[in-house]
Amino acid sequence: MGKVILEVKDLTTKYITRFKEDVYAVDHVSLKVEEGKSLGIAGESGCGKSTLALSLMGYYFPPLYYTSGDIIIDGKHISGMDPDEVRKTILGKEIAYIPQAAMNALNPTQKIINFVEDVVRAHNPSATKKDIYDMARQRFEFLGLPANVLDKYAVELSGGMKQRTVIAISVILGPKVLIADEPSSALDVTSQKMVIKMLRDLMDKGIIKAMIFITHELPLLYNVTNDIMVMYAGQIVERGSAKEAVFDPLHPYAKGLMGSIIVPEEGLRNVKLTAIPGVPPNLKHPPAGCRFAERCKFAKPECRVISVQIKEAGPGRTYRCIFSESELREAYKNG
Amino acid sequence: MIHTLQQIFHSGKFKLGFAIFTSLLAFIFIYPIFIPEAPLAILGQGTFFPPGIYVNVYDSLDTSKYIINQEGAAKRRIANKLSEDDRVAIKEYLVAAGVDESRIDITNTDELLQQWKATFDPKRSIKGFTNAKRNYYIRLNTALQSLYSTGPAIIAVNDPETNTLLESKKVTVTEYVNVNEVPTVRIFPLGTDNFGRDMLTELVAATKTSLQIGFIAGLIATLIGLTLGLLAGYIGGFVDDIINFISNLFIVIPPFVLLVLISFSIGQEQRGASTVAAVIGFTSWVWTARAVRSQVISLRNRDHVNLSKLSGHSIPHIILTDILPYIASYVIMAMILQISSGILAEASLSILGLGPKTTEVPTLGLMMNWAMIYQAQLQGNWWAYFPVLAVIALIAFSMNLMNTGLDQVFNPSLRD
Amino acid sequence: MFQPLEHGCTLKKGDEALKGYRKYFLNKLFWFLLTFVAAFLLNFILPRLMPGDPVAVITQKVATGMQSQAAVQAVYQQYAEQFGTNKPLHEQFLLYVTNVFKGNFGTSFSQFPRPVSEIIKASLGWTLALQFPAIIFGWIVGNLLGALAAYLKGTFDKFVMPVSIFISNLPAFGMAVILLVVFAVNLRWFPTSGGYGFDMIPSLRWDFVRSVIHHYQLPFWSIVLIMIGGQAIGMRSMAIYELNADYVKYSRFMGIKDQKIIGYVFRNAMLPQVTGLALSIGTMVGGALIAEIIFSYPGLGTTMLSGIMGQDYPLISAVTLIITLMTLFANFAIEIIYGIIDPRIKAAQSD
Repeated sequence: MGKVILEVKDLTTKYITRFKEDVYAVDHVSLKVEEGKSLGIAGESGCGKSTLALSLMGYYFPPLYYTSGDIIIDGKHISGMDPDEVRKTILGKEIAYIPQAAMNALNPTQKIINFVEDVVRAHNPSATKKDIYDMARQRFEFLGLPANVLDKYAVELSGGMKQRTVIAISVILGPKVLIADEPSSALDVTSQKMVIKMLRDLMDKGIIKAMIFITHELPLLYNVTNDIMVMYAGQIVERGSAKEAVFDPLHPYAKGLMGSIIVPEEGLRNVKLTAIPGVPPNLKHPPAGCRFAERCKFAKPECRVISVQIKEAGPGRTYRCIFSESELREAYKNG
Repeated sequence: MIHTLQQIFHSGKFKLGFAIFTSLLAFIFIYPIFIPEAPLAILGQGTFFPPGIYVNVYDSLDTSKYIINQEGAAKRRIANKLSEDDRVAIKEYLVAAGVDESRIDITNTDELLQQWKATFDPKRSIKGFTNAKRNYYIRLNTALQSLYSTGPAIIAVNDPETNTLLESKKVTVTEYVNVNEVPTVRIFPLGTDNFGRDMLTELVAATKTSLQIGFIAGLIATLIGLTLGLLAGYIGGFVDDIINFISNLFIVIPPFVLLVLISFSIGQEQRGASTVAAVIGFTSWVWTARAVRSQVISLRNRDHVNLSKLSGHSIPHIILTDILPYIASYVIMAMILQISSGILAEASLSILGLGPKTTEVPTLGLMMNWAMIYQAQLQGNWWAYFPVLAVIALIAFSMNLMNTGLDQVFNPSLRD
Repeated sequence: MFQPLEHGCTLKKGDEALKGYRKYFLNKLFWFLLTFVAAFLLNFILPRLMPGDPVAVITQKVATGMQSQAAVQAVYQQYAEQFGTNKPLHEQFLLYVTNVFKGNFGTSFSQFPRPVSEIIKASLGWTLALQFPAIIFGWIVGNLLGALAAYLKGTFDKFVMPVSIFISNLPAFGMAVILLVVFAVNLRWFPTSGGYGFDMIPSLRWDFVRSVIHHYQLPFWSIVLIMIGGQAIGMRSMAIYELNADYVKYSRFMGIKDQKIIGYVFRNAMLPQVTGLALSIGTMVGGALIAEIIFSYPGLGTTMLSGIMGQDYPLISAVTLIITLMTLFANFAIEIIYGIIDPRIKAAQSD
């Protein structure tokens, strides 16, 4: 087992709506990512995967609030830290974030270099202009981006270039963990490939030590990350290696999710496309038992009453279901 | 459709605006049923009668009398009769006669009159006072003495045979009439204007005309704006360039200036309410045209429009069935704004003396104009302009609220 | 190695931006000139569309306003000569334009024989000195309040917004009347009318200047308040929109301080407000002219009113032309400044 870079213990965060209701979008989530590894998080939209990404940063602003749990990055506990301390010493330096629509993540009226200056100076106020420019140019060229991007405004860049620029800026301070929230969803196939290649490069060249990749496109996860975690209604329902999670899922939801993807090698003809009926529960008033029970075709009456804890199923393999491993496999075999 | 309406009426802003606006409308339509008076009938001889109940003095003489003993009635009567100028004059005399200035309080009627009684001497001549001034004080003293008399006032009738006055009635200071028993009473809830017309009746009629002007102007502006916007947005190219050029012109050249020029060129005689409305409409379509154009451009390449094109539908058919329904909400919102700005434009024109000709109907702007010309604002005749301003502001406010409400329903991102 | 590269880089970049800006500038200049010509055309054609023979109509109007037959005759001759009414239309237009460029707007009917240019000259300064500071000041304060309302939210927002909405729904003359009644008639803090004390002769003496400042307050604030209302509402929704923009979230997660991010937000929210000002300056000026009338301020608004009252055609024509040119210039200036402060303009043009 490698060194653990990111560890999350029982993290719970909530949104407070304008009607003063609490919505627990991340509910007692625990995870570990080791050095040199990447973790994919999958789930339907609204399952809490993006909120988890925001929560992992340890920096909260309304309407998102921290409730309980612990985030440890490379041995540093960041969940109890003063927010300004987190801003200064953690954000961008220990953990960095690539937002969902990176095309809009850059201020349209600012030159890239000026934003980079602001980022660097936010952590090191004494950095000189020349040093920052030098460093940024080196980092950009190292990542295969032309240095003249620095002198441009975001509006002058193409979509793919904007995306790569955002990635380059995110890692400019050499963070240990990178969280990428659907970084490629809005791009065309060519740009998508470039982004994925760039993220892999970051890991290979050791610029970052661990990565969390969030997407609803499962084939992408299978190709990019070592492990996959499936979220449903704010909770983790399945975790395993990429191969296990995609080809041998345990939780009925994970099974359903994988059933709705097309694996190109097998061709279209042999694949039955199954959509999961129903909609995720309203997190303002989550159901008492298993949150997936309403939509699960294997559900028993007690599923709606008993809330299930995470179960181990081999090394690095967990799932959250009332049934045992063998019962599940049996059920899937019979359809 | 019903769902949309439900959503619209769910918006608090829209509901408030709608409530204000419909109450105004209801008032405009119900009021004339109860008071079917011509709005421009001249009732009062004189300008700016303050709001209140006007009791016919002649009729009240024949109404049954009630004796009521009210404490302080006499004091109030005197205080009311003693004008500000008289009080200042009394003070001046007292000071000149050697009374300590700090002891004189001209707002305290009782004390002032006592000091006057004690000090005034008609024979005494005070240094620096002209003869005319002395005579004034003597007259003032006589007037003040009659104030204290509690004897009855006598009503006399002229005997046509002997040509002498015969006493017919006495009115004592404690006599009252019941307003309900006086056969002719006139209520001016908002007083009268400079021509002696009932302000409220006039205001109701004016609100109606102004809303009509706003509506016609808004309708014309919306129709022109919609047509040009559709043409520019859908056809594009050269047509778009031309329409863009014209709307750019109308934006940079203040519509206000165009209004003034056109209205003046038309001349006073030709300017009826509908002409003014039309002129306003013709100069204010630009914003609608721009909004419609940008909406149409974003719709032009949507799938359903392309499908319609491929199916060989004609341009009018595509515009009617595939484009108009999608921009209907924008057009309605734009029209609401156009109506309220049309009402404001009429008011501005009228203040400049370029409003509708004044003999037929009142408008809010004309009422404002009359009040300004007769300087109601400088003389404290608030009832001549304030209700007008309030109605203008209420109309604009309610329409703006409705518009914001609609906007929030149709553009969810604006909800806060 | 690093130095020359950066130099070359920015030089090339600067060139491109300059090219983009030049394109933008030329485009705006072209529009400006086109509208300029159109403004002249409109001012020239509209009176000629009057029903009937314009000369007859106008002289008739003049005749009713004047006692002396000689004066009527003089005006008639002046008018015929100046407007060349018996020449073909295009020659008339040329004559009109040359006259305007010479500053010759003819002779006033209502203040005969004063030349119109003299009347305009006397009132233009007052209007410029009143409206430009008021509009700019109101714009700045309104934007600050709107931005603060968006940022602070809570009580401040709940107080500023309803007040702004209410104020912005008042017509400009309404605000003027209310200020006049409250502060001039009732409280007597300020005079009710005029640009300076009626017993004074314009000079640079201190008491005259003080009187001018004293008379300036109410018209100034009535324009400013109306401006503030509208701008605050616009700025608030722009700032709320920008505060929710993705770059705000990203900048926060890169550890940038909130103060700095607020700086980005307000700069970006302000930019559409600048174009908004350019688009609405015509309407603002119209409202402000009416406010002048309420206070009998000796500016163009009051001059226009007296022209309308006196059926003084040359005066009205000149005032409307001047107002149009004023807003045209203001609009052009704002567009030019906007091109400088918004880098997106240059970028969009160099594509």
